[in-house]
Amino acid sequence: MLTLVAKILKVLNSEASPWQIGWAIALGLFAGILPFGLLTLLIILIVCLLTINLSTFIVVWGLTSGLMLLFADPLERLTWQYAQNDSLLQLLANTETLQLLHLHHTLTLGAFVLGAVLLLPIAWLSKMLVMQYRVRVMNSVQKWKIMQMLKASKLFALYEKLN
Amino acid sequence: MIRKSGWLVFIVFFAALLALVYLFAGPAIRIGMVYSLEKAVGAEVNISKVSLELAPLALRVNNLQITDAAKPTHNSLSFGHARAALELWPALLGYYVIEELTVDGLQYGAQRSSEGAVYRQPGAEGEKVDIAKLLQVDLPDADELIGRANLQTPAKAEALKQLAATEQQQLKGLQDQLPTKDTLAQYQAEIKALTDSKIANAADLAAKAQQLQQLKDKLNAEKAKVDQVKQQLTLSKDNLQQAVAELKAASSEDYAKVQQLANLSDGGLAGISQILLGDLWGQRIAQLQSLYLLAKPYLPEKTASTAENSAEPEVILPNRILPLPGQPYPDFWVKQARVNWLIGGGEATIALQDITAQHALINSATKFSLDVKQLPQLAAFNLSGDFAILQQMVTNLNWQLDGLNLQPMTLGKGDSALDLAAGLISSGGKLNLTDNRITQQANVVLNAANFNSSGNKYLQQLAGLLNQQQQIPFNITTTGLVSAPDVSIRSSLDKLLGDALLGEAKQKVAAYQSELQAKLNSQLQSGLAGQQDWAALLTQQDGAVTDAGSSIETMLNAKLADVKDQAKDKLKDKLLNKLGGGN
Repeated sequence: MLTLVAKILKVLNSEASPWQIGWAIALGLFAGILPFGLLTLLIILIVCLLTINLSTFIVVWGLTSGLMLLFADPLERLTWQYAQNDSLLQLLANTETLQLLHLHHTLTLGAFVLGAVLLLPIAWLSKMLVMQYRVRVMNSVQKWKIMQMLKASKLFALYEKLN
Repeated sequence: MIRKSGWLVFIVFFAALLALVYLFAGPAIRIGMVYSLEKAVGAEVNISKVSLELAPLALRVNNLQITDAAKPTHNSLSFGHARAALELWPALLGYYVIEELTVDGLQYGAQRSSEGAVYRQPGAEGEKVDIAKLLQVDLPDADELIGRANLQTPAKAEALKQLAATEQQQLKGLQDQLPTKDTLAQYQAEIKALTDSKIANAADLAAKAQQLQQLKDKLNAEKAKVDQVKQQLTLSKDNLQQAVAELKAASSEDYAKVQQLANLSDGGLAGISQILLGDLWGQRIAQLQSLYLLAKPYLPEKTASTAENSAEPEVILPNRILPLPGQPYPDFWVKQARVNWLIGGGEATIALQDITAQHALINSATKFSLDVKQLPQLAAFNLSGDFAILQQMVTNLNWQLDGLNLQPMTLGKGDSALDLAAGLISSGGKLNLTDNRITQQANVVLNAANFNSSGNKYLQQLAGLLNQQQQIPFNITTTGLVSAPDVSIRSSLDKLLGDALLGEAKQKVAAYQSELQAKLNSQLQSGLAGQQDWAALLTQQDGAVTDAGSSIETMLNAKLADVKDQAKDKLKDKLLNKLGGGN
């Protein structure tokens, strides 16, 4: 747990560009919502090939996968209800590539649509939040008494070690 | 913004993933299978190993044992090993197309090395079809047979008893309303007093006449009451007589029924074999309902009107795959399957083709066949059939079984136990299941049976009779709904069996009937005799009231005549006096 917090702090305070962190959060969320499959592998390939922050991606992916234990069932039911569309079903039936991506599976389809819709807003919002943190919070956080105490703690030693 | 080492990272990740899958998929699938099977059957499930083969993609399951929840020392089903070779491309698309499935050493009811845990006691529906169980019938005793014959007499006798009690009660109520002897005597005395008295003048006459009239009205009212009671008595007599007639009819009908059960020829109403095996076969047939329930989600939806009428939950396909209009493969499809079944002391191979629930997609029905000969405990067994879910679920099954050696077994228990030391079973038949409607015809022949019984004399007699028979044949037909099948079992031995088995029952019925008759007679005599006394009393009272009424009439008329005469005389005297005085 301490390692996880240290990692996040390290990334937030590092030189990594806000966009790299923003995309890592958005793609981590996308990969986390989706049931593991070919689409997840494609997202991982994108994350590996582009300079997207890997630690953030892995942390967000893990957290979102955990959350999906709660939200998979409602999402699946909702998709089943709204996916009964003749032209959509026809398209899925005729395109084997879409079936290869398991988009004819209710949960995968629902998660893909939700992830795709959230991708850009989450990336942009995360980028903005990282920027705001760095401008407004980072310096004052460093001066907080609690931060001073933290610096003397095990966590800080760990943080320093990771640096 | 391309990461230079990106491909390397991805390849390392992918390789690690494959290694993990290869190492852990087997144990993970094993845990999943044990969990879901235990949840489904409610008893311990053991799988020694599940392994995954990558090229070609196949799953191998070793040594699966499913504990029989009803008998934890035995397995309901077990096999040595099974292997399913999966086609890669459909699997990537999310369809389970199995090129070949082999199951070796399939066994029903094999003994376990240690007793399995039972998590849920089996219900009626959870039972398995088991030919040994099918034959383990509890032979009913005479009381049970009387119970099953659905006799009418006891109910009718009870009804008569009730009726007699009600009628007695009603009559007692009416008794209070009847005029007593004292009342009648008082009326007589009053009439006498009135008639004996002298009439002084016309006013006195009018007053007396009125008094007499009042008395007459009272008597008429009493008479009406007596008539009413008489009517009631007639009615109750009719009712009782009708009830007695019904009881007598029921009694003779019952007797005829018992006779019929005992002396049944082919094509009679119900045979002893029907009584013995009918319910049991019906229960077994009802288990086919589970097959229909499994297939039901795949059946096309019925018309709107029928859908509205049934308040059933929404039909959901497994895995939540969207209902594509033309999917390339069925959700699951086993193209070829070979099951080695341990039966009759040897091994029989069942070959199956095209196992799926979406037959329209592959344009072919599921077919299965089994053909074995010369096994140590079985001369020959041929089984074939097909199964398809299209507009309806249709299952056809034909079988021919010859010379299956029966293990020694005991039919029934206690006093009515019948031991079968040896025997050979042969059976042939066909079965058609269309949705939840069944048509089945089968013949079962027990050859060279050797029965023993240490029970009562009827069973000993029965065992002797059965041992004399070269063949004991049964014809079994079943029609109707699977959940409530109409089973008919006929045997040319019905009469023989009936005579032996129902001998005791007949005696009991006869004893019961004579006892009933005696009771009935005494009851009727006391009840009806009471009624006769009543009738006599009423007639007497009716007579007395009528007499009193008519005597009032007579006396009234006489009195009036008398008064008229007296008046006439007085007038005459007055006239004579006047005429005499004028001279």
